[in-house]
Amino acid sequence: MGFFVFLPLVLPLTAWPVARLAESRLHPRTATRLLSAVAGVLAVCSTLCLGLLMIVGTAQLPGNPLPDAWSDPEVRAALPYDEVAGRAAIPALLAVLVSCGAAARRQVRARRRAEDALAGLPETSVTVLPDGAPYAYALPGRRRGRVVVSTGMLAALTSRERRALFAHERAHLAGRHHRHLLTVHLAARANPFLRPLRTAVAYTAERWADEEAAAAVGSRRCVARAIGTAALLAPPTTTPLLPAVTGPGPVPRRVAALLRPAPTARTWPSLFTAVGLAAWVAAFGATASALSSANSAVALFLALRAATPV
Amino acid sequence: MNDRGGNETGSSPGRRGQGKLEAHVLSVLKGAAEPVPVAWVQERLGGDLAYTTVITILTRLHGKGAVERERAGRSFVWTAVSDEAGLAALRMRKVLDAEADRQAVLASFVTALSKNDELLLRELLAAEPESDEPPEPTASSEEDR
Repeated sequence: MGFFVFLPLVLPLTAWPVARLAESRLHPRTATRLLSAVAGVLAVCSTLCLGLLMIVGTAQLPGNPLPDAWSDPEVRAALPYDEVAGRAAIPALLAVLVSCGAAARRQVRARRRAEDALAGLPETSVTVLPDGAPYAYALPGRRRGRVVVSTGMLAALTSRERRALFAHERAHLAGRHHRHLLTVHLAARANPFLRPLRTAVAYTAERWADEEAAAAVGSRRCVARAIGTAALLAPPTTTPLLPAVTGPGPVPRRVAALLRPAPTARTWPSLFTAVGLAAWVAAFGATASALSSANSAVALFLALRAATPV
Repeated sequence: MNDRGGNETGSSPGRRGQGKLEAHVLSVLKGAAEPVPVAWVQERLGGDLAYTTVITILTRLHGKGAVERERAGRSFVWTAVSDEAGLAALRMRKVLDAEADRQAVLASFVTALSKNDELLLRELLAAEPESDEPPEPTASSEEDR
């Protein structure tokens, strides 16, 4: 083993240009699926890699519960800079586990609270709440989700725009978009290099629902106007949501995309275009990461087994 | 608090059932023609809830602005000021306000705009001719669905 042991930790960097290209060039459905799958694979590999490094690191600590032989020179030779890397991996893996656990718990809690808030109302697919504040949410449920809209939101839209809004939210529920979002959310917690994928998938999932809504209503402009009107109802934020990112935010980009012709739904692009290249690089990065994780795991497992007294 | 049941958290139901219970109490209270005492509500709830539990729920509803109370002698009489949908709206608002990064949890139709985004969006919409779709009357049955 050599430095490629660390590869799964760094390979998520290949996702940066890919996320950029995929969200602007691929069909949003393809982009959402591709990016969340890539994020999931890269996150699992990166965490596995940390776990292996941690075993080597922990074995060095005095008083650890692991077999003494696991701190043999043969095992440590499997890892470059074993002392630093092994010890650094312990807090890193703990941080990842704590962070992912907290994120998952918050997701469950928020969904349960929203469910609880609506308790006592009939379980219809659309719930209208008397509230002047404009909002609309898709709440995924165990059997079927429901769409929650405020009267403030409905009052601002024409009947056609309302149909666009409902079609958009139903598309979220029917496409189970929350699963993709949860995947990238946890992936971004597991490896901070995957954060651009989270932002990208949050955008492409909305675009996906927009496209479905446009098809359902039969007018791209109508969906664009519904989004524009809804977004302008809320007061603008004083602090930017993502200070690091310059350029237009997701809402203007969604509207602009809807005012352009519909994207083609080709499933896998050719290698000889920029998009194709990006998609292939992403696939390659994910595969290489998976392979090197597997390789590290097997090699380290063999080293540990060889060292374990029978 | 000067409520007798203010510290009776031990007898409150589990978190899961709370929402349903609040809605139930509110619907019972809505059936009252005039401000009513706690005992009136407890009686109509079916009797399997402790007096203090009913007070706890009513106090919680009061905190949310869904019921009002006024003094009548040594205790309170209660009136419903919103219906179940109104209560759900108040609770939903609290959930939405509490979630810092709710976008990841609950998929919102639109996210907040920055100042630049707002200008950009207005430009995009202004450049868009509204010719192909004549505006339709706003009144429709869509809300009831």
